[in-house]
Amino acid sequence: MATPRTATTRSLAAKAVVAPPSLWDPVVRLTHWGIAVAILVNALLSDGGSLIHVSLGWLAMALLLMRLVWGVLGPAEARFSAFPPNPVAAVRHMSQLLTGRVDHYPSHNPAGAMMAYVFWAGLTVVIASGLYLTGGATPMQVAAEKAAVASGDWSALIKDSDGESSDDEDKNLRHTVEEVHEVAANLLLFLAALHVAGVFVESRAMRRNLVKPMVLGDRRK
Amino acid sequence: MTASLNLLTAGRRQTAALSVFLLVQTLGTVFFVGDVIGDLKADPISGHFIFEAIVTAALVLGILFGAFALRRTIELLRAQDQALAVARGALSDVIERQFQAWALTPAERDVGLLALKGLDVAEIAEMRGAAQGTVRAQLTRIYSKAGVSGRAQFAAFFVEDLLGAGVPVSDAAQ
Repeated sequence: MATPRTATTRSLAAKAVVAPPSLWDPVVRLTHWGIAVAILVNALLSDGGSLIHVSLGWLAMALLLMRLVWGVLGPAEARFSAFPPNPVAAVRHMSQLLTGRVDHYPSHNPAGAMMAYVFWAGLTVVIASGLYLTGGATPMQVAAEKAAVASGDWSALIKDSDGESSDDEDKNLRHTVEEVHEVAANLLLFLAALHVAGVFVESRAMRRNLVKPMVLGDRRK
Repeated sequence: MTASLNLLTAGRRQTAALSVFLLVQTLGTVFFVGDVIGDLKADPISGHFIFEAIVTAALVLGILFGAFALRRTIELLRAQDQALAVARGALSDVIERQFQAWALTPAERDVGLLALKGLDVAEIAEMRGAAQGTVRAQLTRIYSKAGVSGRAQFAAFFVEDLLGAGVPVSDAAQ
């Protein structure tokens, strides 16, 4: 009885090694699409400093933290150990793409993995600079401040304007952080576009639909 | 088939709901920690700092345990799915070999399989585009070749095998 069982496990493991998951787990999908929506809305639609912009920023922070925790505690293909950052392998994978014959991996391919790490780094910069710009105010505090200003109580603004006018150095720093926030956000948009192009190219090279596993997987009849 | 599919959908729904819950938990924790840091900046030697630190630790631990439990659930569902696939493959192997041993014709094999799946004569006839009389005749021939009295014994033949052998995997691999 022992022999057939190991044979079965081995064949299942062998099958798992050559193919990425047919359906990513719900946490990976939730954080993926949540971050995608938060970034697109904040970069293209909402005004910086507005309640919705700050709220989505905090949401993105929660999603990023959740994904990072999942990178340690999640199932095998979602863990960092399944797609370690390896620039050399990433370059090798890209050159394989040029020849049209690519290796298959159980998780992200090395190029995709590098993309994910750079993206998370960029997102961290955007979130950290955003927190600095709002003084770490939570959406509730922003809402309360805005409500106070709307009701005619301008005292909520005094601290901010004081800090800006009194300290030139502070103002400069704030300006720099604003620049960083914007440049990093644009970098994220660029990476997202690159990511979409990469999925398209990989899907053709691997002859398999890479979008389906991130949405609902194969819907069986 | 339908039962296992329902199981799969239920499992997916459960893990999806747990993920959303985990996100809400993380969001709540992030907000709370942000608020605590704000409180600390406003009033560093606040009396309820220790209390807030304990709550923060509890929230973070909740997320970690929640994530771990969710991973276990996902892995359990996958293992069940795999075991089911292996068992299903093994059972169809057993059936295939038994049909061969009884020397069933290809048509009889199809009808026999459909009968095992629980379809009645009318349904089988409709699926195969045959007359009900033909299907009934084929079933009778199958039962006589298998040496069973009827449909119940025919189905029981395979179930009994499974119950007797214990693990279907070992049956298939031999």
